[in-house]
Amino acid sequence: MLSEEQMQKRITTGCDDLDTILGGGIHCKEVTEVGGVPGIGKTQLGIQLAVNVQIPVEYGGLGGKAVYIDTEGSFMVERAYQVAEGCIMDTLDKFGHHRKVILDCQEQMQPNSFLANIFYFRICSYTEQIAVINYLQKFLAEQKDVKIIIIDSVTFHFRQDFDDLALRTRVLCGMSLKLMELTKTYNLAVVLLNQVTTKFTEGSFQLTLALGDSWSHACTNRVILYWNGNERHAYIDKSPSLRSASAPFSVTSKGIRNATSQCKRVRMM
Amino acid sequence: MLDPHPTSFLSQRRLENGKDAMVPIKPESPLNLPTQKLSLGCPVLDRLVRGGLPVGSVTELAGESGTGKSQICLQLLLAALRPPSLGGLSAASLYIHSEFPFPLRRLRRLLTPFAPSSVVPTPLDHIFVRPAHSPDDLLSLLTAVDALLARPPSALPVRLLVVDSIAALFRSEFDNTPADLKRRSSLFFKIAAKLKEQARRFEAVVVVTNQVVDVVGGSESYGSSGNAIRVGNYGSLWSSGRRVCPALGLSWANCINTRIFLSRSDDIVRNERALVDEESDDRVHGTVVRTRRKMEMVFAPHLPEASCEFVIVSEGVFGVEAQRA
Repeated sequence: MLSEEQMQKRITTGCDDLDTILGGGIHCKEVTEVGGVPGIGKTQLGIQLAVNVQIPVEYGGLGGKAVYIDTEGSFMVERAYQVAEGCIMDTLDKFGHHRKVILDCQEQMQPNSFLANIFYFRICSYTEQIAVINYLQKFLAEQKDVKIIIIDSVTFHFRQDFDDLALRTRVLCGMSLKLMELTKTYNLAVVLLNQVTTKFTEGSFQLTLALGDSWSHACTNRVILYWNGNERHAYIDKSPSLRSASAPFSVTSKGIRNATSQCKRVRMM
Repeated sequence: MLDPHPTSFLSQRRLENGKDAMVPIKPESPLNLPTQKLSLGCPVLDRLVRGGLPVGSVTELAGESGTGKSQICLQLLLAALRPPSLGGLSAASLYIHSEFPFPLRRLRRLLTPFAPSSVVPTPLDHIFVRPAHSPDDLLSLLTAVDALLARPPSALPVRLLVVDSIAALFRSEFDNTPADLKRRSSLFFKIAAKLKEQARRFEAVVVVTNQVVDVVGGSESYGSSGNAIRVGNYGSLWSSGRRVCPALGLSWANCINTRIFLSRSDDIVRNERALVDEESDDRVHGTVVRTRRKMEMVFAPHLPEASCEFVIVSEGVFGVEAQRA
């Protein structure tokens, strides 16, 4: 039985500043689109959320499971393992647990258990993408623990030539409506990672989200990840409730974390 | 099609128990995903990429001419033949080339150190070479390749696919008009989707080489003009003293999983004891040009920012340990 408080819980991103501009973290019952250039950290954030949704309730999390729909082959198990390990270590650290307690958590707080709680789908075409989303309707009715669906990335398979562009728009809109339905019906979060493209507007090239015209109305919130000098930043591009604000974050060996004044660099040994 | 019955689901093609099969869509556990990697043929370089290039993924090698892209590809063709215990895949390879001719001589030269410890008596029998002259050529080739991947002609499965280079395919066919750029971009996604599908279906490593172009105008900030939009770990990439960026723009960058940048710089080293060149007017006597080569991780979903110096010798491409001060 979910308490009211639990129903309003947010999924932490691992970075305090990023959580703050998101109003505490990623919201359930909402669709959040996250866009950015290659290498900025979209997949990193996706994996982080698939892990963080699993933080047990007793440690301030949702104790849920994740669905990860990988359309590009960016999900790397070894990275997910690192991120799970980092999350577990930092969570136990935060709660000031002694070593004995950590050993007692043997079963639950192990990176492999976290990996096992991610329902992974690898899809290779837009038809498979639609099929999986339709499949989820039945799947989620049986797997009530799923609290987040991540699609990485949502537009890749739609950026090829479509003979019928009107069809593409209909399919995208249908898909986003279905996802919105799922968030409400099952009280979960949907995070759509998206690529960016350049558009020549008002005399210069602007970065915009791919296929934005087709379906920009379908997401509740839109977050853009970008480079500010040598630091990664995120800003709220669109939201009914969140203020337009930006926050720095970093990608470390443990995953998404607060920005550091000195960016973490790993040199070849 | 738009809204099939909720309980029906499409099948997808996947490798099940080593065989290419149609299976109903169902979730997988990350614990069961393939994690094999193909060694680059050198332990120092392998450390840079944490073991090697991953299967099921598209890795790009970008760099100007003469930085070692094709050489590394040849090295990978041979590495693939080695067993997993030696960092290989026990697999055959397909090398699709758009630059001519295929460097057979260089490949043969690499075979000499390879042969004694090789598990395969005739390595060249397991390397399939196909030419491609245009993007449409490549697409029809990849479609035909499905059959090759499903039923390999040699005893070994094909698990390395190299496209050398993607940039050469798009060199002449497209103008700089918005319509042509859009058409070109659509082809990138079509080609990449096909490559990724095959990487996944056959648990193969896909390597694509790319050229670089000079960076023009603009700054690195969001929304600037020119082609200087920052992609990846480095604000700027340099080679031969020029600021460059991988060709084919932001669109293509969205199509690959990992980008590795190869660069070279020619350092002039003063050598007091060298002979004076009486023929030249050059007042700077006794100089030697030393080529320094660097491999940098521009972006990868599983690798941090890192770089490594390397050399190209007749035996192949080898990483150089960083000198400690």
